[in-house]
Amino acid sequence: MLNVHDINVFYDEFQALESVTVKIEKGQTVIVVGPNGAGKSTLLRTIAGLQKPRRGSIEFEGHRIDRMEAHQIVEGGISLVPEGGRVFPHLTVMDNLKVGSYNKGARPIAKQRLPQIFQLFPVLADRRNQRAGSLSGGERQMLAIARSLMAQPRLIMLDEPSLGLAPLVVNMVFEFIKSMKQEGYTVLLVEQNANKALKVADYAYLIESGKMVFEGKSEDFDKNPYIKTAYLGL
Amino acid sequence: MFEQILMALINGILLGGVLALLAFGLNLIFGVVKIIHMAYGQFVMLGFYFIYTFHTSWHIPLLLAMALGIAAMGLIGILTQLLVINPLLNAPRLNQLLALASLIIVVENLAQVIWGADYRGIPLSMPIIQFGEIFIRSSFLIAFIGAIVTLWFLYLFLNRTYLGLGIRAVAQDLEMAKGMGINPKVIYYITLMTGGALSGLVAAFFVPIYTVHPHFGASFTLMAFVIVVFGGMGNLMGGFISAFIIGIVTSVTAVLSSKEVADIVALLMFIGMMMVRPEGLLGTES
Amino acid sequence: MQAINKYGFYGQIILLVVLVMLPFIITSSYLNHIMTLILLWSFVATAWAYMARFGMVSLGHGIFLGIGAYFPTMMFNYWSFTPWIGIWVGVAIAVATAAVLGYACFRFGLLGDYFALVTLAVAEVSALTIMAFRETTGGSLGYTLRATGKISDMQFSDKRVYYFIALILLIGAVYIWRRIDRSPIRLALTAIEESEIAAASLGVSVIRYKMMITLLSAGLTALGGALYAQYVTYVSPDTIAGVGVSLSVCFKAILGGMFTVLGPFVGSTIIVALEEYVRISMGASFLGLSQIIFGISLLIMIIFLPKGIMGSMSLAISRKLNRID
Ligand SMILES: Nc1ncnc2c1ncn2[C@@H]1O[C@H](COP(=O)(O)OP(=O)(O)OP(=O)(O)O)[C@@H](O)[C@H]1O
Ligand SMILES: [Mg+2]
Repeated sequence: MLNVHDINVFYDEFQALESVTVKIEKGQTVIVVGPNGAGKSTLLRTIAGLQKPRRGSIEFEGHRIDRMEAHQIVEGGISLVPEGGRVFPHLTVMDNLKVGSYNKGARPIAKQRLPQIFQLFPVLADRRNQRAGSLSGGERQMLAIARSLMAQPRLIMLDEPSLGLAPLVVNMVFEFIKSMKQEGYTVLLVEQNANKALKVADYAYLIESGKMVFEGKSEDFDKNPYIKTAYLGL
Repeated sequence: MFEQILMALINGILLGGVLALLAFGLNLIFGVVKIIHMAYGQFVMLGFYFIYTFHTSWHIPLLLAMALGIAAMGLIGILTQLLVINPLLNAPRLNQLLALASLIIVVENLAQVIWGADYRGIPLSMPIIQFGEIFIRSSFLIAFIGAIVTLWFLYLFLNRTYLGLGIRAVAQDLEMAKGMGINPKVIYYITLMTGGALSGLVAAFFVPIYTVHPHFGASFTLMAFVIVVFGGMGNLMGGFISAFIIGIVTSVTAVLSSKEVADIVALLMFIGMMMVRPEGLLGTES
Repeated sequence: MQAINKYGFYGQIILLVVLVMLPFIITSSYLNHIMTLILLWSFVATAWAYMARFGMVSLGHGIFLGIGAYFPTMMFNYWSFTPWIGIWVGVAIAVATAAVLGYACFRFGLLGDYFALVTLAVAEVSALTIMAFRETTGGSLGYTLRATGKISDMQFSDKRVYYFIALILLIGAVYIWRRIDRSPIRLALTAIEESEIAAASLGVSVIRYKMMITLLSAGLTALGGALYAQYVTYVSPDTIAGVGVSLSVCFKAILGGMFTVLGPFVGSTIIVALEEYVRISMGASFLGLSQIIFGISLLIMIIFLPKGIMGSMSLAISRKLNRID
């Protein structure tokens, strides 16, 4: 479904990704783990069209998307839950959700979608007229996820959704990611919390300093002694 | 004397409404595109000339001429985005500012070449309303009501439509807005078009009040800056409130001393605010 | 870089010789008048660029021009106070004004476009002040200097004297530019432009250096304004104070290139010559046309050649020379 092939990404002269390749099949949950500054967010931002690769290609459902603008990629069916749940702080919760359904494909069914979203995240229903800036960290993260779901994506990308959340909420988030898989979403998840992420993953990548250094099924990660000590804390 | 000051106060409020409209346009452009439109008052002047030509030379009925003038200014706004702002979107802020300042030269001299240096206006006899000792010009009252109604519609547009939502989202976080499927180029065009049309509308309200000449716009550019900075750049509510403050202050000062002193006072308020509290009365946020 | 310095040096010597000879070769008093105007505006634009090249883009130099032009003129007309001294009074007032304004701006950390906006407002205040005191200043109609024709009143029978005064001033301004380049001020102020905090942590007194440049720029600008007034014997808020002239000075320097020592001179030459050419060939009513062309070329310049004509040229030349080396 998604085919990231051999991309190089730069911030001015600084190379953040080097020859990175990622493949995702429809319906899979794929995770990318790696330390701080490895380039995980950069990878997601590049797929979302917020950063342009200098080399390589990105294909989504058979179409090249690496030269498209970010808004076209959203229309194409990819939606990003940004790092730190970056919502629009001065917009109400309701307006944030509405922005999620901005693209043409999502607008007509936004009305039907809303009750489902509120069922998933009842807190958001209670806070619908509150400014998003006044939400707690966890609520903000939920709003960011809900906002992405409003976009009717076929591939949803989450950038460290558990970051800075209390353990109980973290578990909730992972439960939710599991349930998304059952609903048929394809998920690309970036996490530092490798233990938990590996449990929900069909396939995983390890990225270090902008390069993919290991990939495989969850079991392969569990078996690798280096990863075990460096990332799984076993 | 008391009646005079009271009248100045009323005129200040009435004119404040139109100034609020002007400030709204400048603020919208600043908030969304992050560019200071240095030639905004000159756009008002251009709109005035358009309406003048449509009505006086082409004999189009006044109201229709005004509508055409507003549309023409919307188009000029789009052209500004296309030819001046788009190529400079990633340029240093100062270059953007200077480019728009050079538009002042282009527009003022265009007016000079086309319409000459004379004062031009459309003579209209509008009734004067009297309450006891107080006289109010109906042209001021119409302008005020028109401005408030327009602002109300703009408020609804920003808060009730997808496009308005897109504008607010881009103003807050451009990158996230892109990530939500909003095409910022379209939003920029809409913003500049709205800003341009608003300058045309302000011109239409000015038609029964003023006559126009090639340097007519300069003082309105500055007045709009004063209001916008005073209320907090990009803060639409702040701009609305400060439009009335500045309108009243200038109008009352003008009665007490002279028009120039009134403008000086407004500019000094602006300079002081810029230094002490550059985020303005209510802070810079939409 | 060595090579370009050498060519540049010879080029400037030749330019200087030409400028000194020009009034003797060209006898037309009209052309001499234009050349004098070019030199005067070059001088002012150079002084303006002292600040701008270090990131302090002022859109308000009209206030200094105005002070420099109005004070000696009025002191002469009302009190017969000789301009030979009156000019320096004007310069002193301008420097004092700059000290207050500059200190306030830098103290509150106004930078970039905020600085530009505040100075723009200051320019408008200067024009409005002239209009508010219209009984003494003549308001927007302007004000004509009393003619005596006496050298003690700074009035010369041979108008070329002003040409040479302006030329000497321009040479002085260029010399000061070079001195700034060689002084530690330049390094400190370039550091300021790159990062205020970095400069401050290096122990550089940011405000002090900015103030020095600002006072210098304001004083020279006022001097330029004063000489302009004495030369054309007429002052008005439109021509020598206010927003219009402030922008026009700044645009002359930008067009020529405000980071290059001869940029303001080149820009002033082009603009003054263009204005005059259009005025003569098409009549005063088409003066606007030259301004339109000027405005559009400015726009194109800011978009495509943000370093100005001279800046882009020296960049191109040094690239070429590097390739040859
Ligand atoms: N806008 C930017 N400009 C310059 N460099 C950047 C920018 N954004 C990120 N980088 C650099 O690119 C590298 C990768 O950053 P990225 O945000 O992708 O890392 P990450 O894996 O998401 O880290 P974290 O786990 O901390 O979120 C880092 O070294 C970072 O400093
Ligand atoms: Mg990250």
